[in-house]
Amino acid sequence: MFRVVEATHIIEIPIGPQHPALHEPLLLKLHADGERVVKVDVITGYNHRGVERLAEKNSFYRDIFIAGRVCGICNTVHADCYVRALEYMLDVDPPPRAKYLRVLAMELERIHSHMIILAVNAELAGFDTLFMYLMKDREYVMRAKEILTGQRVLADYMMVGGVRRDIDEVKRSRILDLVRRVEERVRYYHEVFREDVTINKRFRDAGRIKHVDALAHSLVGPVARGSGVRTDVRAQDRYDAYNEVPFNVVTEDYGDSYARVMVRLGELHESISMVKYILTHLPQGNPVPDERKLPRRFPEGESYAVAEAPRGELTYYVCSSGGDKPYRVKIRTPSFNNIVNSAFAYVDQMIADVPIILGSFDPCISCMERAVVTDLRRGDKYQVPLKKLAVGGVRM
Amino acid sequence: MGQSLVDFLKGYAIKSYVMKPGRVVVEVEASRIRDVIVKLAEALGRDSFYLSTIEGTDFPERKLIRIDYFLNVFKHNAYLVLRAYLPREKPVIPSVIDLVPGALAGELETYDLLGVVFEGNPYLRRSFFVPVEVASRGVYPLRKDSGV
Repeated sequence: MFRVVEATHIIEIPIGPQHPALHEPLLLKLHADGERVVKVDVITGYNHRGVERLAEKNSFYRDIFIAGRVCGICNTVHADCYVRALEYMLDVDPPPRAKYLRVLAMELERIHSHMIILAVNAELAGFDTLFMYLMKDREYVMRAKEILTGQRVLADYMMVGGVRRDIDEVKRSRILDLVRRVEERVRYYHEVFREDVTINKRFRDAGRIKHVDALAHSLVGPVARGSGVRTDVRAQDRYDAYNEVPFNVVTEDYGDSYARVMVRLGELHESISMVKYILTHLPQGNPVPDERKLPRRFPEGESYAVAEAPRGELTYYVCSSGGDKPYRVKIRTPSFNNIVNSAFAYVDQMIADVPIILGSFDPCISCMERAVVTDLRRGDKYQVPLKKLAVGGVRM
Repeated sequence: MGQSLVDFLKGYAIKSYVMKPGRVVVEVEASRIRDVIVKLAEALGRDSFYLSTIEGTDFPERKLIRIDYFLNVFKHNAYLVLRAYLPREKPVIPSVIDLVPGALAGELETYDLLGVVFEGNPYLRRSFFVPVEVASRGVYPLRKDSGV
């Protein structure tokens, strides 16, 4: 007689580094027992660019533009956080109009960043039409950002002591008009995410994180707020004009992927009302500093600036030894905590839910891993001076 | 809040000062870092802070490596910086990963880029971020003399 013996087989399934569910290189090594995930290893290192070392080799002012290139989607927040770290060191306080314009740029960025991740979430749930609609309406925000900063994506808007462009009455009313259009659409999308059966089925209960775990694992931003942790650096540090512009911190208690999506939708409404408030209460004055009068050398010292990026708490530590280059720049991006520390959230979930859970963390791998040029044919490495990059790029 | 944080840690602090803008820095012995975090969790409550950033800086002239733990004490609107100095020849500090699991990312990164060994962290490995060909040469890119 034969007897059937069931043995447990743990199968290893790699998701990434190149995978349709991922938009950037990251490897999630799943260990699955049948359809159930028992363990996940997060493997990084596919895209490390050495930005912190690069920042040490360039001047304080060039680093403003390097900081902006750490991440495409949240570049003004990166530049703002770094610029404020410099301002704290120099004891410079930008004029009120510049502070308002900085918040305006950052909140526009939050709106388009939240819209893109909501679109990606919809796509991961198999709802491609919603992805298309969201991306189409996101273009209104990109246009508003272009009117404000001169660029759709990479704004290079921040400067020590202010911003690099002012807006006039025509631009102000055009941005206001665009934001009103977006507001109407966001109300509709909120309804869709709240009521659509497929979205509810896919997102509810997927990757639930308890309040205590979110705190212990240092999760930040909408991921922490979705688990009921009331932490928002804008409300805590009150940097730039956040002490004057009214807003609410949005939290949800349940901690699943759906809660994180709902936090982002709630924050979209908050950001839109902040943008409208700023555009109707913009202080007078000149927000653009005279860059020729800024000090070339920085005093010895250190500062630690924080900002609430769309993905959570972003921190910049800058140390100066009294020259024209920083001695040390430490960048800690929100995705660094949210992705590397969150492997526990996949355990006991279904394999098919893994992309949904990862998507709900809003992963930004380019943020996380930050240029040494390597010639693969000859196997050698060399640094490229910024001047060379500016005039003709790198000949490979 | 800043002053009361310093008072909590009176028995552990070598010295304390303020980093711009208003972040309280408390220098502690590297070997006592775990005691400090246990003490903080007792005094403030475990749900009032999280470990925000771990940062390491190399000082080759002083033959030291400095490790900073930035804690976001969000319930009290404050940042607390725990600072420890390690000898550059043998930079070893006890890991806090069992007390604060959120230290995982920061400890792995600091080990890979700066070569600080967090004793008791079983996940430490090279090539967490650094490309294999750099890591295999035993180079820590954030050391000032690494040549990277």
